[in-house]
Amino acid sequence: MILGDFGTSYCKFLDLDAPNAEPTILATKELPRDIRVDLATGHNGKRFAERYVNELIALARGGEAMIGEKEYVLLDCGSRDIKFIKYANGKLADMGWNAECGASMGFTIELLERYYELDYARLRVPEQTFSVTCGVLGMSDIFDAVISGIPVAEAVARFVKGIAINAYRFAGSPARLYLSGGLCDNPLFVGSFPCQVTPLGRFVLLRGLEAEARQHSPFVS
Amino acid sequence: MALDPAPSAAMMSRFHKIGIIGIPPLDVIRGANEHGLVIHDLDEPLVREDLETASPFLPRVYCAILRTAVVNALHLELDAIYVDTGPGKCDCALHTATILAEALPIPVICTRNTDTAGFGTPLCQARLPLLARMQAITAGVKSAAPYRNPPPVCAPTAGFWGVPPRDFSILGLFPDTTHIYGWARCMENKTPADHALEARFNPEVPTVFFAQSFCAKTALARYLAKKHPHALYLDVDVHTTSSARAKVQAFLELSGVHP
Repeated sequence: MILGDFGTSYCKFLDLDAPNAEPTILATKELPRDIRVDLATGHNGKRFAERYVNELIALARGGEAMIGEKEYVLLDCGSRDIKFIKYANGKLADMGWNAECGASMGFTIELLERYYELDYARLRVPEQTFSVTCGVLGMSDIFDAVISGIPVAEAVARFVKGIAINAYRFAGSPARLYLSGGLCDNPLFVGSFPCQVTPLGRFVLLRGLEAEARQHSPFVS
Repeated sequence: MALDPAPSAAMMSRFHKIGIIGIPPLDVIRGANEHGLVIHDLDEPLVREDLETASPFLPRVYCAILRTAVVNALHLELDAIYVDTGPGKCDCALHTATILAEALPIPVICTRNTDTAGFGTPLCQARLPLLARMQAITAGVKSAAPYRNPPPVCAPTAGFWGVPPRDFSILGLFPDTTHIYGWARCMENKTPADHALEARFNPEVPTVFFAQSFCAKTALARYLAKKHPHALYLDVDVHTTSSARAKVQAFLELSGVHP
């Protein structure tokens, strides 16, 4: 059984029938149009599978599979949107999906790194931040800061920190949170949260799909 | 524009087709029924016109229900419009009435519905598709007749609190055993200003607290959702977005509610 998480910028796959198989990643722009999987999630996933699991459910199931706690907040920062699940006493307590006002935050972070030829691993978390509610609107703050004489790297770092703080507030400002998505690999972003962060990587939704697949078909290898 | 809590029979006899915004008092509906008037509920999408045609009259960032009412009022040939502007509606409706009164060549009559005689809420508690029940409740505002053959009450597995949404498609996600709360329940009871009834909810069942974006009821919806032990607060504007659908689906499934 092949699982697919069809994201805006990247697609992630896992073949449950292949022993010890690791997830694979493919840039969405390189995705073959005729690709088919057995179970899909992601905003782009309905076109490629017979069965579809919505992203919040996949995120929640992934959290249940990967986090052995009864109380936690799991935040997923994608290219296009942010979403979170909060569990209390082992039960769903709150959730959110910001696809409009949280638009394009992850996408913009990656775009800026390439455009300004930056390396986020080398940028320090800045003292100051921009008030960012949207990737597109936040770009104006960067341009204004650069015009005022602030170095590009500092301006972009403030933008990234602003995005992290916005996501943190969206998730209810928890004391600690688990982070999902490709931005887990961005040390500047992870370090910009004003709380304890445990990165879980970019395959949490795939793990959620795996849990869904095994729940509905216990004989899946 | 006139404030006319008790429309005279002489006035009604001049009309053939009227529109209503909100829920005018039962006396108005009864009078319209007795005169055989056609009643259009302007809060619902009735004409195939772009919502943008309301923009010269109302801001784009405004209650989608009232923007819809303006589009309907502009495109339906009506003899009069009755707008409830009492405690069962909102200031936005009052301002909309003011604007319509100037824009249209017909009487726009403001009412204050303070009816307290409850008709009961059988549809809110019945085991039937939620969408069909909400359609029946909204259709019910055009009649003053008491309910006949009410369906039996079912045990609830989920709750929907709020107003009838502009886009009913979101209701299709709920199980048939969803009980209806909030202003929609007040509608069926024909007591739209009963704030105590509106604030009631069932803490035993997972409940979606819904409000139209930019509506004053968003505050009440979010406040009650925080008091409820297992709730999802949701506001939606003109159409149900995919993320709104996903939130409701996930909330119900992760809460153990099955279709």
